[in-house]
Amino acid sequence: MLKKMIAVGLCALSTSAGAQAAEKTKVGAAPYGLRAEFANLWVAALKKHPEVTSGKVELTVFDGRYDAVVQNNQIATMITQHFDAIEMIPVDFNGSAPQMKKAKAANIPVVISNSRVNSPDIVSTIECDDVKAGEIIMEAAAKKMGGKGNVVVFQGPIGSAGELDRSKGVKSVLAKYPDIKVLEMKTANWSRAEGLALMENWLTAHPNQINGIIGENDEMALGAIQAVKSHGLNPKDFAIVGVDGVVDAINAVKAGEMFSILQDAEGQAQGGLDLVLHAKLGDSYTPKANVWKQWEKEMPWDGGKGKEYLIPWTVITQANADQIIQHQKDLMSK
Amino acid sequence: MQTETQNQTEVVPTSAPMTGSNRNKVQALATRYGIVIAFFLLCVVLSFLNKYFLTTGNVVNILQQTSINGILALGMTLVILTGGIDLSVGSVMAISSMVAATFVSGDHPRSLWLVVPLGLSVGAFLGFINGLTVAYLKVPSFVATLGMLSVARGITYAYTDGQPVPNLSDTFLSLGEGTVLGVPLPIVVLAVLFGFLWWVLTHTTYGRSIYAVGGNVRSARAAGISTKRITASVYIFSGALAAMGGLVLAARTSAALPQAGVGYELDAIAAVVIGGTSLTGGVGSAAGTLLGALIIGTINNGLDILGVSSAYQQIVKGAIIIVAVLLDYSRHSNE
Repeated sequence: MLKKMIAVGLCALSTSAGAQAAEKTKVGAAPYGLRAEFANLWVAALKKHPEVTSGKVELTVFDGRYDAVVQNNQIATMITQHFDAIEMIPVDFNGSAPQMKKAKAANIPVVISNSRVNSPDIVSTIECDDVKAGEIIMEAAAKKMGGKGNVVVFQGPIGSAGELDRSKGVKSVLAKYPDIKVLEMKTANWSRAEGLALMENWLTAHPNQINGIIGENDEMALGAIQAVKSHGLNPKDFAIVGVDGVVDAINAVKAGEMFSILQDAEGQAQGGLDLVLHAKLGDSYTPKANVWKQWEKEMPWDGGKGKEYLIPWTVITQANADQIIQHQKDLMSK
Repeated sequence: MQTETQNQTEVVPTSAPMTGSNRNKVQALATRYGIVIAFFLLCVVLSFLNKYFLTTGNVVNILQQTSINGILALGMTLVILTGGIDLSVGSVMAISSMVAATFVSGDHPRSLWLVVPLGLSVGAFLGFINGLTVAYLKVPSFVATLGMLSVARGITYAYTDGQPVPNLSDTFLSLGEGTVLGVPLPIVVLAVLFGFLWWVLTHTTYGRSIYAVGGNVRSARAAGISTKRITASVYIFSGALAAMGGLVLAARTSAALPQAGVGYELDAIAAVVIGGTSLTGGVGSAAGTLLGALIIGTINNGLDILGVSSAYQQIVKGAIIIVAVLLDYSRHSNE
C-alpha cells in the first residue's frame, strides 16, 4: 500500500509537471478520511471512473483525517493550486461553508458526495437518503416482528448528520406502529465493540423481552449479533437490521441473521465525478458512470442540472450478496 | 527492604516499598479498603436499583467487558510503576490483531499456537521499540509512546488499505466466545495474566526492581539494578499485553477492525489510576488495577442497564478518575 501511495504520488507529480498538463482536467477528491471501509471503496471507485482510467482526468486524493479544519486546509490548497473541480465528502455538515464560497469565487465547481453540506455555493449533492434508510430498516424490522413487540435502537454519534437523519426515519416509522415499544435508544458511536457491550447489557436489563434490534449502521448491528450469540440465543429469532452493506453484514445477510441495505459507494463517487465534470466542461460532457443507467427512472441525469441526486438503497438479499461482494473486490483490486 | 516489599501481600496500593514504616502501612490499609469499599458500595447501590444487576449472567457480562481493558491496564501498571506512561496500547492492539487475523482468515487458517505468539510478538516488538526510545534514547515516555500511537495506527491502515479482516477461523473466535469449565475465555485470560503479574510484582526480584526504579532511580542504580534494562522491559510487557487484548477484541467482534482500540489507552490509564497506582511511579499493585478496571466496567454496565444516557456515563467516569488522583495526592502529602 505504501508503495502504491508513493507510486501514485510520483505519477501525480510527473504528470502535473508534464507539458500536456493543461489539457487534463485536474480534480481534487476530498473524502472525510481514509480509515473507513466505505471511504476506501469510494476512492477505489473514483480511480476506476472511465475519465480517470483514460487519463482525461488527473485525480488527486486528499485524506480529510476526520477533521473539518484539515479538510478546509486541503480545499484551500486545491484553490491555490488551480484545481479544475472538487468532489468531496465533508467531515462536517456546517464546517466547510466559507471554503465552498471561496471555491465558487475562484470558479471551481464543488460536488458533495455521500453527505450534505450547509452551503448554497455548491453545484449539487449526490448521496443515499439517510432518512429513507431509517425508514426502510425500521419497516423491515416491523414487518419481521409482525407489527408488535419491543425494540432497542443503536444510534450513530449523537448529533452527526447520519445519526440525525437515520434516527428521524426510524422514529417516523415507529410512530406508525403503536404496538412496537422502544425499550432503549442509545449511541454506540458506529462501533462494533461498543455495540457488542451495549447489547450484552440490554439483554441483561430486558431478558426475553427484546424482539427487534435496530442498528443505524451495520457495525453496531454486527456487534449486537455477537452479543446475542454469546448469550446462547439465535440471531434468527430477532429482527436485526443495519445500514451500509459492509462485507461482514453482507455475509450475515447470507446467513439469514440480519437485514441490511447497500450504500452505493461506486454510484456516489462516480456519479459525483460526472456531475462536477459536467459543471466544469459544460453540456458537451456526457455522464459515464453506471449509476445513471442503473437508476434511470428513479434518479434521472436531468442534464446534470439537478441540485440533489438521491441514489436509491439496494436491499441486500441472499440472491445478490455474492455478486455485491465480488463487485466490491473487483473495485478494490488494481 | 526486600522483606517489606514481600509483605505488601496480594492487595493493592501500598505506600512506597522503599520507605516503609508503620504509619505508611496504616495508610496503605486505608487506601486499600477505600477502593474495595467504593467497589462494594457501587455494587450494592446498583443491585438495589436494578434487579438483574447481581445475576450470574450480568456478572459474567461485566467480567467479559472488563477483560480487554483489564489486560491493557495490567501492562500499563508496570509502565506507570516505573514512572512512565504508554499511550500506544490502543494502536498496538489494533496492528497486532490485524497481523494475527490475516493468518486465521479465509480457507486455510493457521493454528492458534502459531497465531497467538505471532500477534504477541508484534506487540512485544513495538513495545521493545518504545522501551529503547524511552530508556536508552532518553525520550520522555509520553512523547515516545505518543509517536508510536500514531505510527502503529498508520501501519494498521496501510496494512489492509483500511479494510477489516473478517471470516476468522472458529478456533480463533473461541478466544472471545469459548469457555473453560463454563468460564468465558477472555475472563480466564485476564485471570491468568493477573495472577502472573501479581506474582511477578510481589515475589520476584524483577518485580521489586520495577518498584525500585519508579521509587527512586538513583538509589535503584546504587543498589546495583540495571535501571535502563528494567525500564525498557516494562514497555515490552505492555506491548505484548496490548496485543493480547487486541486478539481477544478481534475474536469478540468476529473481525479485526483497523479502527479497533482508538482511545483505549485512556480507559487503561484510568483503571490504573483508580486502582491507586501513583502516576509518579513506585507505588501501586496489580490487584488495585484489577479493581480499577472492574469499577470502570461496572459503572459502564450499571449505567447501561439503568438506561442512563452515555453522556452521563462519561461524566461519572471522569469524576471518579479525578477523585482517585486526589486521593493519591492527599496520600503523598501525608507522607
